[in-house]
Amino acid sequence: MPAKLRHRAPVIEVPPALPADEAASIAYEADQGLTSHHFTPGEHPIVRIEHLNKSFDDTLVLKDVNLNVWPGEVVVVLGPSGSGKSTMLRCINLLETPSAGHILIEDDEITNKSAAEVNKLRRDVGMVFQQFNLFPHLTAKENVMIGQTKVLKKDKAEAEAEALKQLAAVGLADRADFKPAQLSGGQQQRVAIARAVAMHPNVLLFDEPTSALDPELVRGVLDVMRDLAENSGMTMIVVTHEMGFARDVADRVVFMEDGVVVEQGLPEKVFDHPENPRTAEFLGSIN
Amino acid sequence: MTNMNRRNFVATLGLAGTALLAGCNGSEQPADDAQTTDETPEEASYTLVKEGVLTNVAELGFAPFEYIDEDGVTVGFDVDLSNAIAEKLGLTCEWLPNQAFDTLVPTIAQGGKADISIAGMTIDDTRLEEVDFSDPYLNSNQGIVALAGSGETSETLDAEGVQVACQTGTTGNSWIEENLPNATCVPLADVTAGMMGVSTGLYKAMVIDLPVAQNMIAESFSDLEVVEEIPTGEQYGIAVSYDNPGLKDAINDALAQIEEDGTMDEIKQKWFGTTEV
Amino acid sequence: MQHRRGALLVALALALTGVFATTLAAPRPAQALTTEKATARPNEDGGDGVIGGMDTRLTWEGTVEPGEEVTSVTLTLPEGSTFDGSTTRITALEGLKRMDVTGEAVPAGSSITVNFDQAIPEGSLLRLEITNMQFPSEGGECVVSGSYVSAGAEHELADSKPIETIANTPLQSIVNWLDDQPWVEAWNSNQFLGMFLKPQLLVTSFSSLAPGWILCLGIVVAAYPFAIALGLLFAMLKISKWRILRAIAVVYINVLRGTPLFLQIYIMFFGLPMLNINIDNNLLGIIVMAINSSAYLAEIFRAGIQSIPQGQYEAASSLGMNYVQTMFTIILPQTVRRVIPTVTSDFITAFKDTSLLSSVGVMELMMFSKNLTTVTGNITPYVAAGIFYLIVTLPLIKVVGIVEENIARSERGSGPRPKRRADVADSAAAQMKEATDAC
Repeated sequence: MPAKLRHRAPVIEVPPALPADEAASIAYEADQGLTSHHFTPGEHPIVRIEHLNKSFDDTLVLKDVNLNVWPGEVVVVLGPSGSGKSTMLRCINLLETPSAGHILIEDDEITNKSAAEVNKLRRDVGMVFQQFNLFPHLTAKENVMIGQTKVLKKDKAEAEAEALKQLAAVGLADRADFKPAQLSGGQQQRVAIARAVAMHPNVLLFDEPTSALDPELVRGVLDVMRDLAENSGMTMIVVTHEMGFARDVADRVVFMEDGVVVEQGLPEKVFDHPENPRTAEFLGSIN
Repeated sequence: MTNMNRRNFVATLGLAGTALLAGCNGSEQPADDAQTTDETPEEASYTLVKEGVLTNVAELGFAPFEYIDEDGVTVGFDVDLSNAIAEKLGLTCEWLPNQAFDTLVPTIAQGGKADISIAGMTIDDTRLEEVDFSDPYLNSNQGIVALAGSGETSETLDAEGVQVACQTGTTGNSWIEENLPNATCVPLADVTAGMMGVSTGLYKAMVIDLPVAQNMIAESFSDLEVVEEIPTGEQYGIAVSYDNPGLKDAINDALAQIEEDGTMDEIKQKWFGTTEV
Repeated sequence: MQHRRGALLVALALALTGVFATTLAAPRPAQALTTEKATARPNEDGGDGVIGGMDTRLTWEGTVEPGEEVTSVTLTLPEGSTFDGSTTRITALEGLKRMDVTGEAVPAGSSITVNFDQAIPEGSLLRLEITNMQFPSEGGECVVSGSYVSAGAEHELADSKPIETIANTPLQSIVNWLDDQPWVEAWNSNQFLGMFLKPQLLVTSFSSLAPGWILCLGIVVAAYPFAIALGLLFAMLKISKWRILRAIAVVYINVLRGTPLFLQIYIMFFGLPMLNINIDNNLLGIIVMAINSSAYLAEIFRAGIQSIPQGQYEAASSLGMNYVQTMFTIILPQTVRRVIPTVTSDFITAFKDTSLLSSVGVMELMMFSKNLTTVTGNITPYVAAGIFYLIVTLPLIKVVGIVEENIARSERGSGPRPKRRADVADSAAAQMKEATDAC
């Protein structure tokens, strides 16, 4: 990445991050009516994205993205391929380094942090990948345990109990000792979710979690996510193409295109009465 | 050792100046009497690997007998001698590329690659089982080389854990095995590796032909010395296949002429600075 | 020593005789021929023992004292020895100068008499090499005694130091038995078979090469853990962020991979002592092999590490693991499985490459074979060495095959499932289960 920095396109100037209280009150005003999630005056957004820009070489893939996510809110990000939605997600746990702008988690600026601080941040931001990315040399249970023992420094028994609990929660208690290669894609993705949840992150990011699955396996994964959204109170940001899931589960739907948040709002609003013609066009093409 | 045909009688002769008298295997001809070579017909019948060429094979790191000089030319006492022999036979002389010493006898025995091996090779009974030898052309001895001032002797060297180097398949090799039974014999492909090893302390000593030892010490290993001369009185001969007796006779003829007409003395003078070798 | 003592004695005596010839001659015992030494050529196939009842060569040396001449020598060995059928080579030297001496040897059971055509003059070193004689088959310490004739009178010869001989070994008996078998003779009469696969030599090679084989294995087994550690270190350096570390790794790896092991061995074995660093030969062998292999392993590990998909790093990062944790718990364990076949191949290569250590006096397999080949003039010991190598390498090659198969199978079954249903059959059962779960 440093190598790429050297060939970076012109530096984008953005204003400094707003003070926390000011940002919170602005967000409180701005997000009224955009989400079905209940948030209160004086409450601070858990994730705050201000003027986020990201470019790969000379291509700007995120252009001045602004977004707030409230604690416990379920945000679904929609948009055509290449719209920058995955990149935004990856910026939130710094798998990509923002080119400009601010990402704050619990009012803590995460850009320009040291490697150690980044690792600390990441344990609070879980991620579920399109390709599952389970560790193939470990069993399902060990996959769920390893973050707890290595990063949270839990003792083995405690981590194992947690792992079994989370595997049970995703319906895979009987697959605890299976290696990923012995599991179906859907099962693997559910293990991956258990792995992320076992870290008890503040925010859980889903990067197209069902895109790599055979159609008949998608539902099991979505059920797990729905259950998480409805019963765990976990803050979730989900990038997906599953419109049904977005409509049923999301507190808020964000539509992105070409690196820009085009439209956001309540699912029924965005799906049924899109304001932006691009949104309408996209949803039309999907439906 | 392998099964050798035992003969129940045979009073044998040890003739100085000749090869061992009785062969060991019944199939092999006993060596000729040295004095009878003159009776060989002038038109000797022999075969050559390459027509008109006397093909030599040797280990070419054995100065001053055969080595490759700075210009990449094969030179040495044996080279001059072999040229002289070839001249007497009306042939030209060619050398095969360098070959490990212990492969020379099998190469000659198998035939097809080289006619003769003139390589500072001592006539001895084990080799005579495989190949025939010409009349001896030079006397030689062995020497023990060690670090100058080390005070090593054949007695101090004959101890457990002492490594004594030699060139693989040489008389020095078998001398160590018979006379230094407690030491570890380290046979090496070339003399330089052994001398270098002695010089760096890798080996305690090396046993090689005395003229070669003296030459190496004078040329490149001033930190070494011959700590003990071993008077073996061995004799160099030219290895020829038993299948080519005509060639051996022709070579013996040529050798006799070379001795007679002073060529041998010239060559000795050139390489050893004396004819008293 | 005996030579030197003899030479000194001669020189001293010669110098003194000029002045005190008569005075010295008078008190001297009637010993005109001093026994210098008696040795026997080892005839144990693949060993260094002198076995009785089998042909060998006796070498006897004596010095003719000043003022004396010797015309005949009789050597006598203990009962059971035989000189019958032997041949004798006579060498007489004055200093290092060879004299022309001829004579006739008359074997008679355990004695042999050599009559010289010319008397052996004073100050000479006389050597008798008697080939194809035998010591008593029961073995034991054999003293060479005898007599000599000087000035027409016969005198006793001083006893030599005893020659250690041994009774026949079981192995040697097998060899001797093989010697007598017609099929063995027929087999050996084929030039190729006799040269490369002589049964007698195969038998002896197997027993005498074993220590070299053990040493080879020992060296490479001892070297390999270090090679792996070093290889891992340099693999890490090579994928490091820092250019200097990468440069160090590149130089180390490329120099070691780009030069012959032979050269590296020479540099270590000859170069280190020149720097006054003296290390035991076998240990040095281990070090050279470890360093050499580490360069190859570094490349294998680097390639292995880089073959792990980026997603694995991302997944580890998203759990909050740092670089070291990611490497040691996620990346390297997977790398190990992937590189096992290549590492095993490299181990095989390293094992075979220990043969190069024979060039610097490490007593490994090739060294033993070379020794044996030298003694016998036969290639069979090398073939036996080859069989020894195969004992190790064949099972390992098999292991590589099995591991490769396993990896191929596990990679087929793992990882993201392609959306297009290429390998449905493979996972049909799992999918059925999944479908049931979902409903």
